[in-house]
Amino acid sequence: MTDLLELLLSASASGCIYGLMALAYLLILRPTGIVNFAVGEWAMIGAFATVILSMKLGLPSVLAIPGAALVLAVLGWLTEWSVVRPLVVRGAGHLAPILVLLGMLVIYHQAMLLYFGGDQEPLDGPFGFRRVELGPLAGTPQSFFIIVATVAVFGAVWLFFERTVWGKSFEAVAINRRAAALMGINLRLVTALAFAGGAAVAGLAGLLDAPRGSVEVNMALPLAIQGFSALVIGGVHRVEGAILGGIILAFAEDLTRRYAPIPSGLALGVTPTLLIVFLLVRPTGLLRAKAAG
Amino acid sequence: MGGAPAQWWLRWVAATAALCVLPFVLQPYELDLYRKLLFWVALAVSYNFLFGITGQMALSHFAFAGIGGYTVVILLTQADLGLGPAIVAALLLAAVLAFIVSFAATRLEGFYLALATLAFAQLLIIVLDEGGTLTGGTGGLTNYALPTVLGLRIDGPWYALVMVGVLLGTLAILLRIDRSWFGRACRAVRDNSEAAAAMGVDVARTKIVAFTLTSVMAAAAGMVYAFFDNTVNPPVFGIENAFLLLFMVIVGGSGSHAGAIVGAVLLKMSQDILEPVVGHYHALGFGIVVVAAILFQPKGLIGAWDNFRRRMKARR
Repeated sequence: MTDLLELLLSASASGCIYGLMALAYLLILRPTGIVNFAVGEWAMIGAFATVILSMKLGLPSVLAIPGAALVLAVLGWLTEWSVVRPLVVRGAGHLAPILVLLGMLVIYHQAMLLYFGGDQEPLDGPFGFRRVELGPLAGTPQSFFIIVATVAVFGAVWLFFERTVWGKSFEAVAINRRAAALMGINLRLVTALAFAGGAAVAGLAGLLDAPRGSVEVNMALPLAIQGFSALVIGGVHRVEGAILGGIILAFAEDLTRRYAPIPSGLALGVTPTLLIVFLLVRPTGLLRAKAAG
Repeated sequence: MGGAPAQWWLRWVAATAALCVLPFVLQPYELDLYRKLLFWVALAVSYNFLFGITGQMALSHFAFAGIGGYTVVILLTQADLGLGPAIVAALLLAAVLAFIVSFAATRLEGFYLALATLAFAQLLIIVLDEGGTLTGGTGGLTNYALPTVLGLRIDGPWYALVMVGVLLGTLAILLRIDRSWFGRACRAVRDNSEAAAAMGVDVARTKIVAFTLTSVMAAAAGMVYAFFDNTVNPPVFGIENAFLLLFMVIVGGSGSHAGAIVGAVLLKMSQDILEPVVGHYHALGFGIVVVAAILFQPKGLIGAWDNFRRRMKARR
């Protein structure tokens, strides 16, 4: 029983990471219609930025973590400004921004590989490694920190969408770009903010995930794939869908790995299988769009 | 194509002759690069029909090459089938799998199709890695050989001619189809599937046929590849090469047969030449070329070449 509870706690932490990755996709996908596969690279860059800020420059975590998120927000905004906006302005097909971001993925990946090499860098979590027990729940402090931080991020995003005019304008753009523009919403600003926010959230996912393993360039692709799988499972229309999909995916993965009588290599097949099943059976995801929009 | 019809087929004869003579004058190392280049070009040509002409952004093309290669080797060495039946069975298996994947994926568009086929490709790699003695696990299958055909042992430059044949066959079939009613239906589905449906095109059937046909062509190329070095292993057929193939078609000029060939030849040769010298800087430059192509030259290198020729003609 304690074994199961410990497993559920670490699976919840993984689910939060996947949920944050799914949220990074969603923040960009909703208002712009662009699926940005480079969020995996942004997560990896977020982890490296934290390594530099906290381990190399010696900043405390309370400064290093927001600092890394800010660096990523700037990177996301720059990416939108340099390669996505020219395509949108030119009226290129809807696939062009997706493809150009795949090209950017290669550039980020290879640039990071050239600068940091293929080595693994350690990154300490802000609360060390001492085992934490909270009633029947026990696990690493990083697991608890991931869950708390994810709840905070999702809470902030939910408040933004539900309680601010800015959030409402995001939703308006998602529902009908032209009508939103005619209502005086600045599409450029919304797109730029979507990329900045998506990059910051992806960076947070990467830097929260890194202390559980290590920081390395190759952490990007698995995060990108798991994030998208979580998004498809939960549905691309609602913020809550991202975290729901993340938790479902992580539980399916961890429970299969722990209890299913199959080799661990085959357990890797859980994510692609779930992705295919959801794409075919329920391509809208578990949560549908609100109201009849 | 331009020019008189006589010139048109003369060009084909000249190109075929050049492709067939080259293996006999190249050094062994160059010959190895040459036949692998032909393999990539063949895949790029069929992938261009799927992505560039039909507009289906699938990432399963290398997976089908792997299915073709692995299946023919397994049938030859573990099921003791003859070469002919093994080839037919492997092509049939690829066709059935491609039909199932495309039938299921007809409802998915754009990047969702990419993700479904990406997941399919991932699953294939996992199955190959975990397949035990059947697939040889992560090390793949080795130490087999192409059986003799009519008592002849085909190897060295002669085997490169088999790849030339598959490449030219792929190209000839697709050029022919491209000029037919079906080819125009494919372009219509890509440009505006609703308008195509209104004009009486069966959108789902067009997508399924194009996907199955090009995937079987990939399987045929993969089969030939399996006997280049008499080894097949999972990484060759993985996701990274599927993305590389996509980028080749984009840089060359998606939707154009010549563009796919130019993109595959230039990017593969630059990889073969530059990677040993500059390492990862090559891949970085590669990403920059892809981004620049999409931003500044959406019709790819072949579009730039067409513009250049038009300008030269206008000047004359």
